[in-house]
Amino acid sequence: MNRTLRLVAALGMLAIPTLAQAQSPTTGSIAASATIQSVFAFGTPVALSFGNVTPGTTATGSGNIPMQRNIGVIYSLPDGGTTGQLTGPGGTIQPTYSCGVGTTSAAITTAFANCTSTSALFTVAATSVTGLVNEWVIFNGSLSAAQTNTVPGTYSGTIHVLATPN
Amino acid sequence: MTSRTGLRLLFALLLASWPVRADAQTQKSVSITPVQSLSFGLLVPGIRGMVRVTDASRRAVVALAGKGPVDITLVLPSSLDSPTGERIPLQFSAGDAAFLNADGSTISTLDPLQPNRIQLRNDRTILFVLGGTAVTATSTRPGQYTARVTLLVSQPGT
Repeated sequence: MNRTLRLVAALGMLAIPTLAQAQSPTTGSIAASATIQSVFAFGTPVALSFGNVTPGTTATGSGNIPMQRNIGVIYSLPDGGTTGQLTGPGGTIQPTYSCGVGTTSAAITTAFANCTSTSALFTVAATSVTGLVNEWVIFNGSLSAAQTNTVPGTYSGTIHVLATPN
Repeated sequence: MTSRTGLRLLFALLLASWPVRADAQTQKSVSITPVQSLSFGLLVPGIRGMVRVTDASRRAVVALAGKGPVDITLVLPSSLDSPTGERIPLQFSAGDAAFLNADGSTISTLDPLQPNRIQLRNDRTILFVLGGTAVTATSTRPGQYTARVTLLVSQPGT
């Protein structure tokens, strides 16, 4: 009988369920998001002016347009060989230009191969951009004495620069 | 006492002491329903983006329903991350969370860095709202950044 009692007691103890059960917290989730804007914009240009030119003399002028970007860029000149052509009373005058990008508006630090190509003249890959870039596309123009020996009047034109995000 | 009597007595004692599991405990439950994500929107590099708890269109909103007191604890991310590994640090401080009534009126503003308790009642839904600040740098690259906030909702006494 003692053995039987011990066996039953042991079975009873093994079978007693655990009362205290802690409840786990309920979990939920909130998504958070942000979009960093691409910055890619020309600023206000500074016009290129040859000024008042005495006929039969040479003349020079410089102009620029600022660009701010945080992605890569490809610059090209959509007007090709007539980039920056002047038109006036005596017809058209095509100045000679040197052009490129400068880290300031004062001087070109990376020159374009030419100022007449509709193809890519300056390329920056997006992976090489580590922050906000401020640069200037600069044009320096010159007129020969022969070009200024023409009908008096105002000659004007527009330099078009195409900036393509890269 | 015979052995049979002893056994019967023992069995009776065992049965009498067997705990009844179902009846003695009161069942409590709380439901958590995400309503709106925390959206900092379009940010400019170098400019901090702040979402206040009063910004109805950008704050995170979670609806809580149930009965009894509940404790809300947040696991807050340190940054928003892009798929390419860039990060935008996040900042949370007192006042960047709140409990609201369903009509939008404020019950209390909270510190999301601390556990916060609210008393739920069967006749109303409580809104938990969360804001914060995204700290971009001028070098922060363009793109999509995401993170996830975890809510731990526990009921004291359970």
